[in-house]
This record gives sequence, C-alpha cells and structure tokens, in this order.
Amino acid sequence: MRVWDVPVRLVHWLIVLSVAGAWWTAEAGRMDWHSYCGFTLLGLLAFRIYWGFFGSSTARFGQFVRGPRSIVSYLTGRWPHVPGHNPLGALSVIALLALMLGQVVLGLFTVDVDGIESGPLSTFVSFDAGRLAARWHDRLFDVLLWLVGLHVVAVFFYLIVRKENLIGPMLSGKRAYDNDQPGMKQASAVRFLIGVALACALTWTIVRAFQF
Amino acid sequence: MSGKLFLSASSTVLVASIIAVASAATPVELQKVRHDHYHELGDAFKEVRDQSKAASPDFAALEKAAETVNKASIDQQQWFPKGTGPEAGKTRALPEVWSKPEDFTAAQKMFSDRAPKLLAAAKAKDIAGVQAAFKELGGACKNCHDTFRSPEEH
Repeated sequence: MRVWDVPVRLVHWLIVLSVAGAWWTAEAGRMDWHSYCGFTLLGLLAFRIYWGFFGSSTARFGQFVRGPRSIVSYLTGRWPHVPGHNPLGALSVIALLALMLGQVVLGLFTVDVDGIESGPLSTFVSFDAGRLAARWHDRLFDVLLWLVGLHVVAVFFYLIVRKENLIGPMLSGKRAYDNDQPGMKQASAVRFLIGVALACALTWTIVRAFQF
Repeated sequence: MSGKLFLSASSTVLVASIIAVASAATPVELQKVRHDHYHELGDAFKEVRDQSKAASPDFAALEKAAETVNKASIDQQQWFPKGTGPEAGKTRALPEVWSKPEDFTAAQKMFSDRAPKLLAAAKAKDIAGVQAAFKELGGACKNCHDTFRSPEEH
C-alpha cells in the first residue's frame, strides 16, 4: 500500500543531503558552497511546508499532528496502525522542520567575524546583530545534530526492537498493512508544480535580499 | 629640606606616571584594544560588502568604510606589540606572529598594498571595482589568518 508520495520522499532525502552538505562545507570553511546548501534547504523547507497543507494526505500536518492524548494512546498501544506518521513521530517531524527553519533563518542573517562572508539578509542588520546570529547559528546546529541523532536512533529502534522497517517505505513509498483501510490520497501534479514554483520564487527573493 | 621634598615629590610623580603608563597598557588591555580595532574593521568590511551589493549604494558610507579599512591596514602594524600573544591572555593571535616576524610583516603588507585599491574604487564610485578589490582584499585577510590566527572556537 502507498504511504509516502514522491515529493515527500524526494524532499526527505534531499534534506539529508543538503544538511550533510551544509555541515561539511561549514567545517571545511567553504562558505560559498555552505550558502548554496543553505539556500537549497530553504527551498526544500518552503516546499515541504506548502506540501503540509496542500499535498498528499499523509504529508499534511492536519492529518498527522495530534494532541497529547493521541500520543498517550499511541504509546499504550491503542492507536490504529494506519498509513502515515504516528502521533509521536509527528512531534519529531515538527521539531526537525522547525529547527531546520530556524537554522536557515539565522544563517541568512549571519556575518562572519571578519565581515567578509555573510548571509544575504545580513545587509538588513548591524555587524553585531549578524555576529549574534552567527553564534546562535552555531549553537542551534548542535541541537539539530542531537535531534537528527534521535531521529536515526528511533528509526533503528523500530527496525531492530519492533521489527518494523521504516527506511524501506521512505525509499519505495510502499508499506504493507495487515488491516483493510484507505491508503494515501495522492495530490495532483499541478499542485506539486505550484509548490515547486512558489518555493523557488521565495528562495530566489530571499537570496537576492528582495532586490531586483 | 625643600630640595628633598621636591625630590621625593618628583620621584612620586615619576613612579606614579610609570604605573599609569604601565597600567594603561597591560598586555590584556592591549589585546582588548586590538580586538576592538578588528571589530571595527569587520564592521567596515560588512559596510563595504553591503553597499557594493545594494541596488542604490550609499557612496558616502562606502567611502567612509573604505577609509576605515585603509587606515586599519596601516595601523595594524602597531597592533601586535611583543607580549600580547596567547601567553598573556585569551587571543586568537598565534605565537607565529612573533616567532615569524618576517612572514607576518609580509602578510600585513599584502593587506596594506591592496587596501588603497578599495579606497580608490570607492572614491571613484566604481562598484565593480569595489567588488573586485573587496575580493582581492578578502584573499589578503585569509592569507594572514590561515597562518597567524587560530581557528574559531565552537
């Protein structure tokens, strides 16, 4: 049964690549490439947020983000096994998206110690504010690493302890379910293209610092 | 008596002024002064970069910042007195600044050789020239930092 559409899977793995790329280029001091990784991530996040409102059923925040009561019932095994994120995993999705978004926004305003390298929006803030953004950009990355670590550990916990493979479905989009139930409702290609266009336009506008 | 008084008074003044001079320039204070200078330089660099990318640059601000950069490129030769390295306190200046004085002077000279080009382009309101000079100047910064400044702490 289909559980993840192509955009969700593609965005997921492209996020992995751009975060890894941003990490590596930052460590190597290649700030030009670091910026490109950040801009790519910005576009991916913009698309994913759009897809969370207008995308296929399992991608929508409205479908998988639940309250504490649902999380408790999932933890106590009273949550039905349906396609999509479970109520606990939803928290991880939201936290990761929010943290990456915060990280990208800080990066846009960041200025290096020499005032030479800087994010495109740093032109709207002072040198000191840009340096403050840089410090938080640095600190928040550690938090992000911990959360990514937790995400990976959780996936392997499901694989090894609960014998549920979550990695396969994130590649193939398909997963077997024992009970009979409605599967994922696919969003149209037109919606996908609108989302891509919007994400590109937004990213381009920000990278150009609203100057045309 | 008055001669003795004069002598002791003047020696007191002398001692006091030695203390004043010494305390006005402890190594840690000199490090702070240096740090503030580089902070000002970073601020000026950002201004140059911002104006060189702006749709309608503020040429007065650009020129002022380029002046600051140019002045710093000459003044920095006085910012590294002996005894203000890592042994004196927290600084990213590496001991090589003092152990390889010829290389350090050459690195500083690269900065002071290139900075006037930035100022000239800024005065001529030549944005393409400013961008080119900025890039070249960034190379001079990096050249020196690679050898004489410790990596940023995380």
